Amino acid sequence: MNVIDLLFFIAALGLLSVRNVYLSIGLVAIEGLLISVMVSSSGPLSWVSGLVALSTLAIKAGLIPAVLSRLIIALPAEGLKDQPLPLWAYAAAVLAIFGTDHIIHLLAPSHLIQNEPAFFFALSTVYLGLVMIVARRHLLSQIAALVSVENGLVLLAVSMSGSLPTFVELGILVDLVVAVTLLVWTGHQIHREFKTTDIVVLQRLKG
Amino acid sequence: MSYDWSLLGPLILLVAAAWMHGKSGPGWCRWIAVLVAANFLAVSYIVLHGVFAGSWRAIFIAVTNLIALTSSWDSIYWLREHPSVSPGRYYIWWSLFWGSLIVISLSRNLALSWLAMEFSTLTSAALIIEIGDRHSLEAAWKYIVIASVGLILGLIGIVFVYASLRYQGLSWAALDFSNLHAQYFNIAPPVRELATIFVVSGFGTKAGLVPFHTWLPDAHSEAPSPVSGLLSGILLGLSVFTIARFTIAVPTGSGALFSGPRLLTIFGTVSVVIGALALLAQHDIKRLLAYSSIEQIGIIAVAVGVGTRAAIAAALAQFVFHAVIKSSLFYGAGHLTARYGTKSIDGITDLITKSRSSAFLWTLGILALAGLPPLGLAYSEWLIMSQLWIHHSYVVVLLTSSALTLTFAALSRHLIRNLWGPAQLQDRRTPSSNQAPAQGVL
Repeated sequence: MNVIDLLFFIAALGLLSVRNVYLSIGLVAIEGLLISVMVSSSGPLSWVSGLVALSTLAIKAGLIPAVLSRLIIALPAEGLKDQPLPLWAYAAAVLAIFGTDHIIHLLAPSHLIQNEPAFFFALSTVYLGLVMIVARRHLLSQIAALVSVENGLVLLAVSMSGSLPTFVELGILVDLVVAVTLLVWTGHQIHREFKTTDIVVLQRLKG
Repeated sequence: MSYDWSLLGPLILLVAAAWMHGKSGPGWCRWIAVLVAANFLAVSYIVLHGVFAGSWRAIFIAVTNLIALTSSWDSIYWLREHPSVSPGRYYIWWSLFWGSLIVISLSRNLALSWLAMEFSTLTSAALIIEIGDRHSLEAAWKYIVIASVGLILGLIGIVFVYASLRYQGLSWAALDFSNLHAQYFNIAPPVRELATIFVVSGFGTKAGLVPFHTWLPDAHSEAPSPVSGLLSGILLGLSVFTIARFTIAVPTGSGALFSGPRLLTIFGTVSVVIGALALLAQHDIKRLLAYSSIEQIGIIAVAVGVGTRAAIAAALAQFVFHAVIKSSLFYGAGHLTARYGTKSIDGITDLITKSRSSAFLWTLGILALAGLPPLGLAYSEWLIMSQLWIHHSYVVVLLTSSALTLTFAALSRHLIRNLWGPAQLQDRRTPSSNQAPAQGVL
């Protein structure tokens, strides 16, 4: 088992459980740092893989945490803490992890998975992020969860195919930066309009 | 000449919009519409042969540029009605959104389609945020989060397929639809089935198929009307056809429980039924059109699920007719909303007395959407039903035809209220000033 993969999974678990949004941003930065290490060590080092790893580091461990910090600078003290996680979210997280194990058994005959522990941590991180998006109520927690899910996906690709095509990796990074920037911009406006960071207020429109 | 030239239009517009940012006036908006019109003529010349030859890409590019053209003209009036929105920023996001739609239309690669689809989410969400009121902020937030989560599921499916073909060492090109079709038998059947579930659910979220549709009525009803036209008319259809390209390229085999055609038929039928039922309960004119889009996209998905050449041709016809009709209706709904000062169907009444020409065009659009023969959708829906009947999908025929009947009843009921309902709210503007925008677009 790779220590970095394990640390990455622990960071994802931490992200699900912490309520302090400063800590959430710290964990997003740690995940970004670990992902860039994984990307750089997933194959032989070339200038292309080096570029992807450096871009990942700059965006996921630097730019995104910095943009997220911009959202919370404007918040009053009571806006810096998320609501406690509901009990069902813990149950869903446990189920999600068991579900990952089932998928590994399902895929075993196909020899698709190169690194089973990494695959387990990656898909579990994706599922935990999805649970977090549904269960967490702070605007910033939802953005952090989205970033974590994307990080899990990168690890998933590393565990199965070594990496994604360079163009896809760079494209995803650009999409992620635009998505986070837009969400932070929207978050600012939501806080200004609704005077809260709790997404429970976003239920005037009924899907 | 290569279809890739059609990307030039959005790029030129992006540069023009960036240049005009901060110094915009009404004249600029008209020049931009002229630019989009010139692009449409040039691109039509390039793709015309392909359209008549039945090329999917040519048809997608032609229809996308046609709706972009009408959307750009409608934007002139919409921006005049919404002076709080910055035209410079609006056109920057609009050109990026248009560009992403062109990339999806052009794409021969699954990963490129995914990237462009995600980018289209972000650019269209930015256009919704530009409005800046509470409803639009809520709609944009839900849209970005739900659509991104959906697309992430789709990406998991793409990773599974890519990992299965890593031995080829083709990198990016491994995900070309042609390569996927040539190599699909090298992907283990359970992986194909799992990838199909992820891709259909993921891209299905973007297509607004039930049960992944929850973002759609909010986003489409809160977006600027010229953008709603592109979202409903183009993006939803392109998403379904991207699923179709994948399921055709990577078939799961007849024994698979969750094959692509089966999933599309199930989700499509449920979408038609739920969309039709929701039409009855709507009170907001743009949400009415948004739910109608769910129903229409469901019909396209059902046709794609049948999978025969005739059914796919009918699905393409449905896509084209729906794009033209729905975008026109969204533009019209935007101007009616601005004119009456409400989105409520109960508030938009007595249209026949206030503007006969608007009443005539609104009636024509709603009846075309309801599937009244000999208007376009009636033809394509009939073709789809006959394909379902030929392939013994009697349950699907029963459900979809019942839903279509319900759709006709619901839309007719709302139309009657719009035309002859008792006047409840005061017209926001004087008759002389309100005729131009509504008539210009309707």
